Amino acid sequence: MGLLDILKKLRSNPEKELRLLLLGLDNAGKTTLLKQLASEDVNHVIPTAGFNIKSVLSNGFKLNVWDIGGQRKIRPYWRNYFENTDILIYVVDCSDHHRLEETSLELAELLLDDKLRAVPLLVYANKQDLATALPASEIAQHLGLHLIRDRTWQIQACVATDGTGVKEGMEWVCKNINVKK
Amino acid sequence: MTDVLTTERDKNDRVETILKGFQINWMNLRDADTGKILWQHNEDMSSPDAEHEARVPKRILKCRVVSREMNFSSIESMDRFRLEQKVLFKGRCLEEWFFDFGYVIPNSTNTWQSVIESAPESQMMPANVLNGNVVIETKFFDGDLLITTSRVRLFYI
Repeated sequence: MGLLDILKKLRSNPEKELRLLLLGLDNAGKTTLLKQLASEDVNHVIPTAGFNIKSVLSNGFKLNVWDIGGQRKIRPYWRNYFENTDILIYVVDCSDHHRLEETSLELAELLLDDKLRAVPLLVYANKQDLATALPASEIAQHLGLHLIRDRTWQIQACVATDGTGVKEGMEWVCKNINVKK
Repeated sequence: MTDVLTTERDKNDRVETILKGFQINWMNLRDADTGKILWQHNEDMSSPDAEHEARVPKRILKCRVVSREMNFSSIESMDRFRLEQKVLFKGRCLEEWFFDFGYVIPNSTNTWQSVIESAPESQMMPANVLNGNVVIETKFFDGDLLITTSRVRLFYI
């Protein structure tokens, strides 16, 4: 399912312009995921020192996907990109055990931000192909997703490098894009 | 009167500072169905005076969906960064895309890709008519301040 297909599914949406925001620690796989959605080569992805945006237009409807770099020094700038977000997509490297707490704290902070209030949350539990990867259920535990009350959320296991699980996550996005509580 | 002049000078200074730290690193065109790059250019295309040339394979005109991607760096932060991209045929606008980025992180490198469905093949002008007559013009602004213009003329080979 490419971005154009996603947009076509969303046509019935009353909003003319939709915004997906991809966040997560550096090396989580955000840019790879974005490239996978566009069927692009994912072999030469470099750390994002700013943002990558894909804008898709079809019959007057626009979908903008924003991927913001996750390096520590960039994170303070994340909040400049929160406004008008329709879906927050948070990507976790499930093999990065050392930084599970760090990624949990970053997510917790995002969920407290007023500009992202009630925005549906999709968590991609990425890198499931690695032997050391924790399963999505354990990641959900660590992130405390079951404690979320103020928004709809979903966790999806995936492998961004080969596309496994990516489509399923995007299908959830399509279903939940205007379910702000 | 002095105030107006000062404001004008401040604006020029600001544009100059931003431009000095601003660079378009590369541009490409892809068949968006396959994600394959059909054309890529890796030189700075932000110099406002020069018009750049792109030699693009003719088959791009058969693509159902084409993407245009630009990668740019900025040393300065900007609050209201935006661009206006137009596809011109003999100076007439065939297509335009306005995009508001908002904030630009200081010392950042960023990409913007726009994906657009092509006109149906029946309405598409043939390669020999388009050849050398199509220009992609991209203007970069911070708010109302024009920072630079990039112009790329397309040749279909």
